[in-house]
Amino acid sequence: MGKILIVDDTLFMRTLLKNILFSGGHTIAGEAADGDDAIEKYRELKPDIVTMDVVMPKMNGIDALKGIKALDPNARVIMCTAVGQEQMVKLAIKSGARGYIVKPFQAPKVLDEIKNILES
Amino acid sequence: MSSERKNILTLTLKGPPETTLSLATVPKALLVLKKMIIISCSAYRLAAYFMSPAIRGGVMVTDAQWEKGSIAVLKTGIWFVGEEKQVSIPLNDVAGIELTKRDVQKKQVDVVKTDHLENTDVVTSFVLCPLSTLHVLFNFLKDATKDMDMRGDELDPVSAQVGMLIYSGMDSHAIETMLSVSNKELESIYDKLLKLGLIEVRYIRREVQLTPKGVRFITEAVKLPAE
Repeated sequence: MGKILIVDDTLFMRTLLKNILFSGGHTIAGEAADGDDAIEKYRELKPDIVTMDVVMPKMNGIDALKGIKALDPNARVIMCTAVGQEQMVKLAIKSGARGYIVKPFQAPKVLDEIKNILES
Repeated sequence: MSSERKNILTLTLKGPPETTLSLATVPKALLVLKKMIIISCSAYRLAAYFMSPAIRGGVMVTDAQWEKGSIAVLKTGIWFVGEEKQVSIPLNDVAGIELTKRDVQKKQVDVVKTDHLENTDVVTSFVLCPLSTLHVLFNFLKDATKDMDMRGDELDPVSAQVGMLIYSGMDSHAIETMLSVSNKELESIYDKLLKLGLIEVRYIRREVQLTPKGVRFITEAVKLPAE
């Protein structure tokens, strides 16, 4: 089971992900609502995995991913975005994302993806 | 070729005279038979590239590849037929169709995106073919599933959030807690979603309380045994 940092600017999505991850036996290392905060929380909490929203105020998810990767090249980050923004996938993968989740998502599949990434 | 019922496959052979054959067997055997006919018959098929599944349950399939093959459009659904893989999408299971653009070999190209239910998983697939064929496919699917179309303003924000949580697999208790709504409020939202045909009842869970007999039983049961 992993220690996970949830990054999303909407409380609703953070709460949903928190519920899903709890139900899979994971612990929530912390939450962040923008990219700047995500990098700061990553430095402070050293989570096993980060779930990162792409579209956020201040600093977007791709830049935050790059910031986290600069701190820790082995950081495991799963990007999370809305339908229709799949073109960001290549950019995210190129920037070092380990997985990609499209909203809306189904809990069992998200948990499978987290498990695969934790085991890799 | 059409399936009138789950266990009957009707084949119409071109005439003259036009002949109709009905084959009845178990659905699984009919599926195998259908697959064989589609693969060997070119009349229905349109050359295309497909990617299925591209997304499963919201998770991007990282090793998804475009496969060369053909699409067979039937009255009951569509088939993607490739050398390695055959995918069947019954029309009843199509949850969404969209004509969209996708990055293919560094070019933005038009594709048809379909969402369909596979057991309980929501699976997204993409079809890539010449634009005219793509429009035919899109219009066929759009027309075949027009009963599912909605205006988009039928739900208030809280009901839409409830829908999203159901999609993600949350149960009633989790939904009540997450959205801070009472059981009564949630029931009324469920009624609205049921009326719109957006959800179906899986089972009814009961909330109960002890009767005096039950209270007495439990009180006795927790007493320490007499020394």
